Amino acid sequence: MLVIRPLQENDLEALYAMAQSAGKGLTTLPADRDLLQRKIRHARDTFNQRCAPEAGLYLFALEDTELGQCVGISGIQARVGLDEVFYNYRLSVTVNASRELGVHVRTPTLHLSNDMTDTSEICSLLLSDSHRGGGNGLLLSRCRFMFLDHFRKHFSEKVFAEMRGVSDKEGRSPLWDALGRQFFDMDFTEADMLSGLGNKSFIAELMPKFPIYLPMLPDSARAVIGRVHDNTAPALKMLQSEGFNFNGMVDIFDGGPVVEAFVHNIRTVRDSTDRIVMIRSKPGDKSRGEVMVCNGAFQDFRVTTVPADCVNIDTISLSASVASALGVEAGDRVRLAPLKDAGLSTTNRNGDTNHAGRSSRA
Amino acid sequence: MWLVRPAQPSDLKAILELAGGIGPRLSSTLPRKDEALAAKIDESVRDFAICNDLDAQDHRGSLRFLFVLEDTDTGAVRGVAGIDSRAGHGQPFYNYRQDALIHASHELDISRRVDVLYPSHALTGHTLLCAFTIDPQLKDTDAFELLSRARMMFIASHRELFADQAVVEIQGVQTESGAVPFWDSLGRHFFNMDFETADQHSGALSKTFIAELMPPNPIYVTLLSPEARAALGQAHEKTQATYALLQREGFHAGVYLDIFDAGPVLEARTDSLKTIVSSLPGTLHGSPTDDGERCLISGGDRADFRCTLSAMAETLTGDIKVPVKTWHCLGLDAGDAVRVSPL
Repeated sequence: MLVIRPLQENDLEALYAMAQSAGKGLTTLPADRDLLQRKIRHARDTFNQRCAPEAGLYLFALEDTELGQCVGISGIQARVGLDEVFYNYRLSVTVNASRELGVHVRTPTLHLSNDMTDTSEICSLLLSDSHRGGGNGLLLSRCRFMFLDHFRKHFSEKVFAEMRGVSDKEGRSPLWDALGRQFFDMDFTEADMLSGLGNKSFIAELMPKFPIYLPMLPDSARAVIGRVHDNTAPALKMLQSEGFNFNGMVDIFDGGPVVEAFVHNIRTVRDSTDRIVMIRSKPGDKSRGEVMVCNGAFQDFRVTTVPADCVNIDTISLSASVASALGVEAGDRVRLAPLKDAGLSTTNRNGDTNHAGRSSRA
Repeated sequence: MWLVRPAQPSDLKAILELAGGIGPRLSSTLPRKDEALAAKIDESVRDFAICNDLDAQDHRGSLRFLFVLEDTDTGAVRGVAGIDSRAGHGQPFYNYRQDALIHASHELDISRRVDVLYPSHALTGHTLLCAFTIDPQLKDTDAFELLSRARMMFIASHRELFADQAVVEIQGVQTESGAVPFWDSLGRHFFNMDFETADQHSGALSKTFIAELMPPNPIYVTLLSPEARAALGQAHEKTQATYALLQREGFHAGVYLDIFDAGPVLEARTDSLKTIVSSLPGTLHGSPTDDGERCLISGGDRADFRCTLSAMAETLTGDIKVPVKTWHCLGLDAGDAVRVSPL
């Protein structure tokens, strides 16, 4: 059985192994034991409500109960930009017009912005290679929306995700080479790594503050602004199907887009319903789809999946082991949400792992 | 003889021919359209006349003077030069100021210099020497120096009309095909037109009008094309003679650049310009011979201003002795006040 629960201290080694195999692509979780240890402690303090709500970092583990091991994680940063400055470029338009000259020219322009400050970010999604497919990526990603829904007061009304921008196999980013590098003589991979270690705002402070007129950048750089890395395309599609949209912000390093949604508009949130638990031993039939079941607890937050045919009009039939994994008993109220949606084919799931693979500020 | 005098409406055709001979140039030049140029000449005639009426106390206004170089033997106009007493003429006078920012991070122990071009109006209201255009055949002659420096003689004699700082815009780099690298890297994006087209609009409207369509934000030098970066503060080859002469006058390149072609803007304190420092007032007298030091000599108030080249002998009492034909050329008589400056 696969169950979502808060990340714990004994997950460190599993997390480290996953971070190592993820390689360079994942800035959020560098394979650095100390950093991962700090993140885990931070998450533990958050779930134990030992840190201020706005400083919270909610990290969820996907545990394979048979292995007794964490095989994936995902996260929510309660608020960004509160203890340091959170930068994006806002892609906007400058218009030059003169009736006398017959001129009306639109110039796309990047403005440095801190507009995402004080907003909740979904981040840090990582799934072990051994557990790809079968909707595990979806579960890891969407369990966060169930959490957001249950505990809205801890989060902003809007949540966002930074999507990884375009870079080539050698890790070169066309936007970084044309822009960031001109101001900060460093390779993209190095800058990216530094930002994963929590130095992003320092680097941002070396970047240009005045608006950047896009026609002054080479075509190769302009072409990638607001575009995602191929590996991230499925994740973007998944978020889009949840109701997330490009909000005009892009990453200051690689130009990857920021997508955002109001919590109450997220599809998983809108489609979720409550049911009363009934314990029954008959196993369901997975072939008719699965639903996510969430216990709604804060400190002991749990989500798992059950066959869709377990769902009745007012109740849901859970086996004793599932009820125990969720920490619920007969008569308790749980929340359900569909795990899959018609628009998403199974081939998309492998990419889930890279979604939101950028910049957690923990 | 060579004579510099205020431009008259009858000079229109000759000036138009001169202006037509030069390439596109957005800065401080002459309009190349009949009506615009005629209006400019009329404005100059009016301003010479206004300043005749001005009370010495009230010279705050912006005046525009246009002078022509005339060959008195043939009556042909061979050059033109102007002064705007206040750059911008009541509107903002745009330049880029080349400046630097240090992007530094204490945490990363990094410090890096970033060159930036800031749009600036700081030179607005300075006295602007402009519209210098001369028949290319006269480039290496005394007439070239006469035309350029006659303006300084005018300023020396009418110092109260002009500002304490003087500036000149020098044409920037342009390729043989007419492309301006700086424009192509910056201005073109905001106008969707090449330099020559923009230049035509500038002549018909005003430089300020065009300048105000440029982006209001500072520009990072590092994002310009390599060709544009190389052109920053560089004078066009064909301006060498002008540039050298202005440097001898005391003008020097500072941090200001033309916003269209990035040519240098030269600056000087008006009172330290060589012609103004070295010129002396005196009283006109006759000389029977053509002997003596060749120098610039000017006389006449405002609209009657004339400046020419003449052999001159000076006496200790401040009498300026010149051949009588010089009197005629200047339209003056013995005993009139004149000003001389060595070549």
